[in-house]
Amino acid sequence: MKPKVAFFDFAGCEGDQLQVANLEEEILALLGHVEVVNFREVMKEQSDNYDIAFVEGSCTRLQDEDRLKQIRKNAKIVVAIGACATIGGINSLKNYQDLDDVRRTVYGDKAQLFDTYAARPIDAVIPVDAYVHGCPIDRDEFLNVVKSLLLGKKPEIPNYPVCVECKKNENVCAFERGEFCIGPVTRAGCNSCCVNEGTKCWGCRGLVDNPNENSQKEVLIKYGLTVDDAIKKFRLYFGWQERKK
Amino acid sequence: MRVISKEDFDSFVNSIINDDSLNVIGVKSKGDKFAFGTLESANDLRLDYDVTLLPPKKYFFPQRETLVTYDVATGFVAKDPADLKPTVLLGVHPYDIAALLQMDEIFRDTKSDPYYFEKRKSSIIIGLNIQNMSERCFAPLMGCATIENGYDLMLTDLGNRYAINIGSRKGEELLEKHAKNVKAALARDVQLVGQKKQEIMNMSQQEFDFPTELIPEMLSKTYDQNGFWKEHSEKCLACGSCVLVCPTCYCFDIKDDPNLSLKEGKRIRTWDGCLLEDFAKIASGENFRPTRPTRYRHRYFKKGKYLFDRFGFVSCVGCGRCSSNCLPDIANPVDLFNDMYSEVLDMGLEIDATAAPEVSIKTEGDINYVPKLATIVKKTPMTDIETLFEIKLDDGSILNQMPGQFVQVSVLGVGEAPISVSSSPTQKGMFQICVRKIGSVTTGLHRLNEGDKIGIRGPFGNGFDPEALKGKDLLFVAAGLGIAPLRSLLNYVLDNRAEYGRVIVLYGCKEPREQLFGDELVALEKRDDVEFKNTVDWCPENEVWEGNIGVITTLIPQINFDPEDTYAIVVGPPIVYKFVIADLKKRNMPDDHIIVSLERRMKCGVGKCGHCQINHIYVCKDGPVFNYSDIKGVPEAL
Amino acid sequence: MENKNFNVEVHHVTRVEGHGNIYVNVRNGTIERCEWNISEAPRFFEAMVVGRKWNELHHITSRICGICSIGHTLASLKATEAAMGINISDQDLKLRKLALHAENLQSHLLHIGFLVLPDLMGVGSVIPLASSNPEEVKIVLRLHRLANDMSNLICGRTTHPQRLIPGGFSKIPSMKELSGLRERLKASVSDLKAVANLLKSLSPRIPNFVRETEFIALTSPSEYALYDGNIGSTDTEAAPAKEYLSYTNEYIVPNSTAKWAKHKRESYMVGALARLNINYDKLSPLAKKVAEMFSLKPVCHNPFMNNIAQLVEVVHSVEDSIKLINELEAAGLTIQPDYNLPEIEIKAGQGVGAVEVPRGILFHDYTYNKDGICTKANCIIPTNQNHGNIQLDMKALLPKIMDKTPKEIELTLEMLVRAYDPCISCSTHAVKVHFV
Repeated sequence: MKPKVAFFDFAGCEGDQLQVANLEEEILALLGHVEVVNFREVMKEQSDNYDIAFVEGSCTRLQDEDRLKQIRKNAKIVVAIGACATIGGINSLKNYQDLDDVRRTVYGDKAQLFDTYAARPIDAVIPVDAYVHGCPIDRDEFLNVVKSLLLGKKPEIPNYPVCVECKKNENVCAFERGEFCIGPVTRAGCNSCCVNEGTKCWGCRGLVDNPNENSQKEVLIKYGLTVDDAIKKFRLYFGWQERKK
Repeated sequence: MRVISKEDFDSFVNSIINDDSLNVIGVKSKGDKFAFGTLESANDLRLDYDVTLLPPKKYFFPQRETLVTYDVATGFVAKDPADLKPTVLLGVHPYDIAALLQMDEIFRDTKSDPYYFEKRKSSIIIGLNIQNMSERCFAPLMGCATIENGYDLMLTDLGNRYAINIGSRKGEELLEKHAKNVKAALARDVQLVGQKKQEIMNMSQQEFDFPTELIPEMLSKTYDQNGFWKEHSEKCLACGSCVLVCPTCYCFDIKDDPNLSLKEGKRIRTWDGCLLEDFAKIASGENFRPTRPTRYRHRYFKKGKYLFDRFGFVSCVGCGRCSSNCLPDIANPVDLFNDMYSEVLDMGLEIDATAAPEVSIKTEGDINYVPKLATIVKKTPMTDIETLFEIKLDDGSILNQMPGQFVQVSVLGVGEAPISVSSSPTQKGMFQICVRKIGSVTTGLHRLNEGDKIGIRGPFGNGFDPEALKGKDLLFVAAGLGIAPLRSLLNYVLDNRAEYGRVIVLYGCKEPREQLFGDELVALEKRDDVEFKNTVDWCPENEVWEGNIGVITTLIPQINFDPEDTYAIVVGPPIVYKFVIADLKKRNMPDDHIIVSLERRMKCGVGKCGHCQINHIYVCKDGPVFNYSDIKGVPEAL
Repeated sequence: MENKNFNVEVHHVTRVEGHGNIYVNVRNGTIERCEWNISEAPRFFEAMVVGRKWNELHHITSRICGICSIGHTLASLKATEAAMGINISDQDLKLRKLALHAENLQSHLLHIGFLVLPDLMGVGSVIPLASSNPEEVKIVLRLHRLANDMSNLICGRTTHPQRLIPGGFSKIPSMKELSGLRERLKASVSDLKAVANLLKSLSPRIPNFVRETEFIALTSPSEYALYDGNIGSTDTEAAPAKEYLSYTNEYIVPNSTAKWAKHKRESYMVGALARLNINYDKLSPLAKKVAEMFSLKPVCHNPFMNNIAQLVEVVHSVEDSIKLINELEAAGLTIQPDYNLPEIEIKAGQGVGAVEVPRGILFHDYTYNKDGICTKANCIIPTNQNHGNIQLDMKALLPKIMDKTPKEIELTLEMLVRAYDPCISCSTHAVKVHFV
């Protein structure tokens, strides 16, 4: 019996589901192991009978919570995919602004028609069994998580910073090049892809379990960033994780 | 010594690049820095470099390397090195050559790593005397700024020409085949080379406030200076940079990578580092080096003391990579050791240079990374989370383990984990492992059934010594899952009962339903040549228990024994050792009568990957069974 | 017809990006309700970028959309560069054009192959087609892979492209890599022909529906405008991008978290069909041939033909990419540092960046203070601009298909929405209010 999988999306850009669609030929191999019963972006058929639910996007409204809870009820395994679902993602930038101001900026006096609260990862609402981090997710990491779930083992997600992968890839450290990188406190697993492409780490995979935040902030300031900017850097993706602390 | 003009040298380089039988690597620029990479032409070369981002060890001990491939139908096979073209490494600084020589010793210690040596032996090293030294380089302080061996050719830049020292026949042949107009060096050239080497000794901007030879002893004296280590490691990001760029670091992790078919896959080795938070963490969640100060301290001790004691060299060549790659700048060994020297002076201590130890490294064969296929012959659940598996090796061979040894068990596609063998070698034809379901591999194992296949490597480790215990009274103390490895010795003793004195067995669990080997315990109790007592920490309402209630130590006062004639074999979770040993000591048991078995995170099983290391000891190789007197003074042990 | 009573309620239309609903009530043959409704959670990007630095905006706004991130990133970079007077080299300009081609290829092929083809072949998704028509599915996957590989090569990756930075690229491909890409693009033509032939064979299933509307797209005298151009319209003369507000006129409608737009008529359409209608003569030779296969020429007012226009653009993008690579080779590729970071002189200013993304014309408008901090931002998404047109099309189409079964009506209305290739998550990013 092939496990049934379903894809759901909340507040996000759908980029993670696109990565799944971008598996190209590997989708065919994957379909040999699972049956896709729900993938709104790609198929018409829908079903409430599924074993594994992949959820993309943050929870940004009270009304999203019910939908999430229903998914949790239906699924044996819930996997959060993409930064918005795993850590709140870029959506959590707005958490630091006055939400009423934000609404008014957008919708003027119709603001109260539009419901919003602090953007949060889905595990703030329901228990989550596995995470595929990143903005967007890495296709190979997604496949590794799926393979692990199919083999009945807990996916191995690193608990060390991006620096590990960056050094293995023999990159010139961003700080040596005048860039302000947040890799030293960001969870690895992306193979330092952004530094490999010539830039720096922005933190899209979230903080490691026990980041030395003070040390990272000191490093940023030592290399020339203002205190304010150092704090703002942490809010780009860590908006929800920071609040939790 | 020979000389060659720079022009002819370039032709030589282009000639070897065009030789299809060679893989030519040289130093190239990368951003504003430098790295070893494949040369397309002599123009790529940057021999004026100061230091490369990563050391040349990446060619012999790569960042990621497939060791073994597997197929669920046919089992595991060593990865074929395929066509290994000889690699020419051009422009290697003496400190990096020194590091390779150190790695050679480390990788051939006791057992030799075939993957490393395959690549090493076909390589051709063209060294280069340092022209520019990086700001943090302190190779002169470590005696590695110049080197007299370890290369096939050594170049020194003399302005319009290179002086070439021939280091081997291989080097000479390379010159003969590809270089033109190589002349004998003149006296002037020889003199210039000597002069250059002198200059190099003075190039470093780093200085020790003390003689280098004091390092091992300084370290020993400051192990317990917790304030010192805390202060120096406060800013550590656990990013691993210092160890990943180090030319003498060699810790690695092993992971399985299944294909999408789930039926085949690879087992991969990848660089790991002791500074990373989860380096010493096991599946139960226990982390044996959980804090920054302990991990930070370990790196210096491994390099400056443990490896020195074993191999006779401080395992640091002064390249300065760790120092310049540490963002909070806390990884400069020069700063650390200078601070340590002040600390030592403040403590009012006198430090001597440690004489290099007598080193005798023997190599007895290759490390085996390839598991054998085995079948689960019987599966007996014992509790909710523990199951006893009876295993038979498919090729019909006997495991031939000593009691107390362990095997590395592979669940195909999931991974490999170390599990003690629970049966005595007196039981022929099969062996047993008692497995607690706690992590990926053990959970995977629990999902398998009789007839299913697994992989087995081993037996590994230092086991119990049943011979040495003959004629003695034996006090077995088992707590929780500790009974599993203990049983291998207990059953051996019972199968040879007449050769041993009294046999006392104390067994404690948290609660009644966690008891293992229930039937065997009942049989033990009935035997009149065994004194058996068991206890539970507590008994929940819905369970029945008529025996002793209390922690395991409550059983010790209930038995009499003569400490001079009795040997205690104690196995249990870390917390138990502390209290049981204290109680045994109160009863005057000598240190060397107490035998323990420790667990740590283990990957290779042969004392290389570094995960099980406690101070200078490898639990997988020097243990898991230890005599207490040997580890009493090892701070990380208990 | 008087006895016709039915409801169509499609909650979260499938095979579109984002969440939209179709509500239809017919009582006694009278249409009581026919509504295209957006329920996507608003995401407030324009508010989020306020207070952030000039070198972060492109990273943040890329996250507006996963499918057209390259387009958002480029529009964002153009706005920042316009605000601060930053110029890019001719080489970087060509590479950015290649980036947009890669995005068009990736998005259009995904849309045609995964989202629209199932309708034309009478199935729920591309998944059953993997068994019934494996060769065709393989061709689509192969072309899609080529598009993704092209994005990876030029931009780092398709979604949230790292290499696109203010002032240029952090890393560029080598000439060797570009030549390799060129070979693959040339070789893809046979696959493209196969897809065109397949669609041709299915074209009787494309509804023939016409409703006159205005079309708006970038236009340029020298090329089929995607990266640079003025705002063109089938109703008026072209105008520079900074005058976008006079075209877009966004306003809020009840029951919708996205905004609608109008120019000279009650609504207008953007996207591939709009671009084709305005810039037809600039299409590459093979692209024109494909358009002719389907008798598609300006001005076509059948929204369902947007899908065919996308096919035509795929062919154009392949041909134009080959041309751009030839030009790069002829000029000689200038090597840049391994980790390139252009030096930027920060200034206060305001700038508008307009690009064509697969779904239509996109505007980013930023204002910076002297420290390079964004004080105001406005993003106008193509799909927003289409919502009004979708609604009016739906109202005009429904009476014409009343004789079909409710199931068929539902499918046809869904096909109408899909034809626009809407990107609904993008469109609910939120915009500055503009009442009309």
